[in-house]
Amino acid sequence: MSIQIQQGKRGLTDPDTARVILDAIPAEALDSQRKMNYFVKPRGRRLSEYEVLTVYAQPTPDWIPGGLDWGDWTQKFHGGRPSWGNETTELHSTDWHKHRDPAKRWHAPYVKDKAEEWRYTDRFLLAYSEEGQVRSIDPFWRDEILNLYLGAYIFNEYGLFNAHSAPSRDTLGDTLRFSIAMIGFDKVDNAQMFQMERVFLSKLAPGFPESTDAPKAEWTKGSIFKGAREAVQDIWQATYDWNESIWSAHIVYDALFGQFVRREFFLRVASHFGDTLTPFFINQTQLYFSQTKGITSDIFFEEGLANDAEFGDYNRRILRAWTDKWLPRTTRALQDFLGIYAKLPVIAGVTDKVSVEQALNRVFDDWKIDFADKVSYKFDKAAIIKTVLQGMK
Amino acid sequence: MSISAATKAATDALAANRAPVSVNAQEVHRWLQSFTWDFEKNRTKYPTKYKMANETKEQFKLIAKEYARMESVKDERQFGSLQDVLTRVDAGNRVHPKWNETMKVVSNFLEVGEYNAIAATGMLWDSASAPEQKNGYLAQVLDEIRHTNQCGYVNYYFTKHGQDPAGHNDARRTRTIGPLWKGMKRVFSDGFISGDAVECSINLQLVGEACFTNPLIVAVTEWAAANGDEITPTVFLSIETDELRHMANGYQTVVSIANDEAASKYLNTDLNNAFWTQQKYFTPVLGMAFEYGSHFKVEPWVKTWNRWVYEDWGGIWIGRLGKYGVESPRSLRDAKKDAYWAHHDLFLIAYALWPTGFFRLTLPTAQEAEWFEANYPGWYDHYGKIYDEWRARGCEDPASGFLPLQWFMENNHQIYIDRVSQVPFCPTLSKGASTLRVHEWNGKKHSFSDEWGERQWLTEPERYECQNIWEQYEGRELSEVIAELHGVRSDGKTLIAQPHTNKDGKLWTLDDLKRIDCVFKDPLKAL
Repeated sequence: MSIQIQQGKRGLTDPDTARVILDAIPAEALDSQRKMNYFVKPRGRRLSEYEVLTVYAQPTPDWIPGGLDWGDWTQKFHGGRPSWGNETTELHSTDWHKHRDPAKRWHAPYVKDKAEEWRYTDRFLLAYSEEGQVRSIDPFWRDEILNLYLGAYIFNEYGLFNAHSAPSRDTLGDTLRFSIAMIGFDKVDNAQMFQMERVFLSKLAPGFPESTDAPKAEWTKGSIFKGAREAVQDIWQATYDWNESIWSAHIVYDALFGQFVRREFFLRVASHFGDTLTPFFINQTQLYFSQTKGITSDIFFEEGLANDAEFGDYNRRILRAWTDKWLPRTTRALQDFLGIYAKLPVIAGVTDKVSVEQALNRVFDDWKIDFADKVSYKFDKAAIIKTVLQGMK
Repeated sequence: MSISAATKAATDALAANRAPVSVNAQEVHRWLQSFTWDFEKNRTKYPTKYKMANETKEQFKLIAKEYARMESVKDERQFGSLQDVLTRVDAGNRVHPKWNETMKVVSNFLEVGEYNAIAATGMLWDSASAPEQKNGYLAQVLDEIRHTNQCGYVNYYFTKHGQDPAGHNDARRTRTIGPLWKGMKRVFSDGFISGDAVECSINLQLVGEACFTNPLIVAVTEWAAANGDEITPTVFLSIETDELRHMANGYQTVVSIANDEAASKYLNTDLNNAFWTQQKYFTPVLGMAFEYGSHFKVEPWVKTWNRWVYEDWGGIWIGRLGKYGVESPRSLRDAKKDAYWAHHDLFLIAYALWPTGFFRLTLPTAQEAEWFEANYPGWYDHYGKIYDEWRARGCEDPASGFLPLQWFMENNHQIYIDRVSQVPFCPTLSKGASTLRVHEWNGKKHSFSDEWGERQWLTEPERYECQNIWEQYEGRELSEVIAELHGVRSDGKTLIAQPHTNKDGKLWTLDDLKRIDCVFKDPLKAL
């Protein structure tokens, strides 16, 4: 038959075409290795679909540790800077392809989870509004605290989101690139969810402003977020090492400041003002925090950079130095944020100094176990908390 | 804690107003542009000579969760088809062998482009100042992760269900051996991520995606379906639904710089360089993949090229950007000439170097030779005769001891590598426009095959100094290189690459190659 196919004929379904094709196919497969990327070292007992679809997508040469290619880059930046290079980070690795997302998320599972969260959010908002739960929110909490300060926190999340653009470009491994892009995407999702809450409130409580003008003024000019704004600006735009960007954003700043603001302030205090809406959104951000912690722990701890067989000691020294750099800025951000309590009534067990100190202790205790201890970072918790508490007017 | 009168009235009203309401994506998105703020250090880490406007909008207006919903729906359809009906009808094993081999290359090489586009759009996300523009690039970052996974999935599927898993199962490792890889990196890897951010956007979005994804991702599905492959259309057409957004991003990049003075000075030169770079590789490689990598033919590549590249892109798409000062690339006319013979020239070389592939190649059959001659008059006298000679000398048979590469050497046809595009060419055999040009720089000789690439080199040689396969393998014996770079099947001795797809034909081994004692030589050293 003619080899010029007639338009619309498909080799799978057109009998004549299919006959020619089937006749050309060998009776037995030509190779028995039916595992793609069989040469990849699995993290678990067997190679996961996530590893198959992700590992070694990065086409780096072997002079970037872990790379399978050879030679130089075929096109470089103006002046000759390489496409990707070891010099883009102070940290060293024996294999930049070693990281694994503990949740094994490649694109499909990642968007499936988020799509489910979106559908659930929509159903929740419908039910919440239908039964009029918004009536229970204290108007002061809603119009002052949520409007201005939860609103201003949008910019915190948006700035941190932008701190992931350069690491998404510069990182040296494929699993790293996927993870970094995804945890950055979660941060802009957080910012959008808080704006969603504002839009929602404006529909339920006529007069509640959905505009971002006042929150933005609070973020850019107010005192409560001054330290936070300065830290976020530096993480976003003044940090050029992609590992330092991720470390400063997630391991130091968000694990302390973000956790305090979200979990210990908005989540805890909201219920005392009859606010059952904000916890719904905050808990989604806390889910993302938890997933991000899994990722960043794998990048830096577990089998990651701090425990690299060849460079672990050196990397831990750098990570401690970065912590020395970012902890004081985070402390200042917390100290400034504590000014918010002056705007609230003193509620025993909730907003009084003892409760705030307990909340700070919870955050720093978590941080010590989850992060600081893993690079043998020593810090004086009591002294830091004492400094932070000076922010309570 | 005073309650304003308006708030009190609103709160009171709630007692009676309990209609279910929610918030849609657009209601959130319309605030996105206000999410940023000015501060002293707010500057990109990837400078560009252009200035991107602060108020640039995006066209797709997605928020994170809505993006996820949309993609998830598409994934359900695609993976549902692959894992259910296509598996039940054994579709992975009902593909013509020649096309099964082609997809080893096409899927993996497209994966490289998609993967590098993650980094490229990460750079653009950093470079743009307008939050909406950042948001458009961000969605593309996620899309490119999706496409990387999807392309990987095609190889994964063929590994699991196909007739020849070798090459599909290790393409990420074995792709580095042969002569097509470095050129691939130039267009689909480094060209997207290394340079002025807007120049990279022009490479990726304005040329790579708006021009070549149509022949690469759409036309390939027609060739695939004709040759029994329903896996590729299922995946690639799903990829293409996202590409529209990427083309829009490229359009918005141009819109964002349209009022900048630099645009009138540099934009058309950057566009011309990007177009020539991309076409230099894709025009021959895609034509070769379609016409020489299939049994059933859809249409001559030159027609496909003319429709998608010359008319649709060079005319309509670029025409739409005319109001921003964008002109069709000056090299378009030369590219059109390449679309006729360049893929035939390249196949001659690719077949000669078949042991370095991670796929099986097939010489045109008599029936195909007729088709080539009918569509490219003069084909047989130039190429067909050579293939007949190679076949007569037993090039497909391991016992023959004959590699077509030897024929090139015997007849003093040197194969050079164009330094800028990394595409191999043989000036004494090219029916296309390739001519040899040599420059010395930084203590080395560098060969070039055309004026447009040569210009890029002369302007910025430090960007394109990458060594080529001749320099890398110089003095080494062929089988030794193949073994070192894992070009063998699971038995440890049979080559992944083969010079035929005949189901009854014998397969070459490392020993067969070793007997020939073929040693790599850098032709530039003889000049």
